[in-house]
Amino acid sequence: MANALIEVQNTFITLDRQYSLLRAACQTEQDREALAAKYAAAQSAYYACVNKMLSDDDAAVAALCTQLKTANKVVAQATEQMGDMSKVLDNITKALDLGSSLISFL
Amino acid sequence: MATTAKTLCDYYTALRTILENTDQLYRLNEKLYSKPYPDSNQQQVKQTESELEKRAELASDFSALSEQFGKLTGSTAPADVAASASKLEGDVEGLAGVTASSLEQNAVKVALQAVVTAIQEHKEREAAKAMDQATKGISDLFTKEAEVWNSTETTYSSIAATAAGNLVDQGVTDNTTLLKVALDPFRLTLGSAGNLNAQLAPLAKDQITAKQSDLDSSYLKATDAMKKSLQEMADRIHTVAQDKPMAFRSAPLSVSTVEGWAAQIFTAASPASGSPAVNSAKTEAK
Repeated sequence: MANALIEVQNTFITLDRQYSLLRAACQTEQDREALAAKYAAAQSAYYACVNKMLSDDDAAVAALCTQLKTANKVVAQATEQMGDMSKVLDNITKALDLGSSLISFL
Repeated sequence: MATTAKTLCDYYTALRTILENTDQLYRLNEKLYSKPYPDSNQQQVKQTESELEKRAELASDFSALSEQFGKLTGSTAPADVAASASKLEGDVEGLAGVTASSLEQNAVKVALQAVVTAIQEHKEREAAKAMDQATKGISDLFTKEAEVWNSTETTYSSIAATAAGNLVDQGVTDNTTLLKVALDPFRLTLGSAGNLNAQLAPLAKDQITAKQSDLDSSYLKATDAMKKSLQEMADRIHTVAQDKPMAFRSAPLSVSTVEGWAAQIFTAASPASGSPAVNSAKTEAK
């Protein structure tokens, strides 16, 4: 149970820590808006998880947790890939999609 | 029992203060760093706050009922005991939200309904047994939800630390306060700061990291102590419900750890008053 919450929290916290650097690296307004939307989605996913905390006793949830953990490691390295903002945004999207899949088990 | 339940109320109220501070940080971040905080997300945070408030109120009313419970030893249950029981009945009905703990919530609801019914029907022995189930239920509920509340605290400390680090990076913090350790013993004050502020920025960031760790550690200790206090309360009531004599009646020692942590949160949130604002928080919420 705690694992799912921790991973969804990690996506949000990591993005919060990196936000200023990533925003400064955005070349276009479109990228800045996309980054802001990802931030809001990560924050929303975290509180959805808090408010409806789920159980990861289920094998499918446990597998999703593992995938999200891996995706979060990639997001944590986002500042090293700031030259390719579309790739950064794709990686964040992947983590958010996995978080959404977890929350769908609520 | 009343002391432990009161401490549980303070614990939940302190957590609610932390969540209110988190909400304020999100608003600051939106203005300062363009981090979005849409209305829908604000509502989600409010929902978590509301769940904490319900638990604080339940713990507060359970504390009141515990104090009244001793009066049941007479042949008739006084009216105020019945009134406390009725109030608690309403609180229990309102509990909802953190769905993973629904089993534990239901256990608390069923047990407290039994307490209320037994008190209203003047059945002391049944009331004691139901109280046994209720205290166990409250203890189990706390244990089950501990990870959620732990996450709430670490999110706050991380968001705050990031915001503080950004402000240091912007050069808008006064880092020369770090020099107090050298100057204060000699009653000296800083004259011209020169470029000391920039030189001290790395130390200021180290301090943020260290304090964040202290906040998290202090919270974990309080949670662990609360868990032990509730367990001890449940064990003591169980002893009484089994018609066995209770060896001691003082409040569990671990209660003071929780009270110390909660007082720190209340003082930080309201330096002027420096005291728990349980009642005012409840009134404000209503």
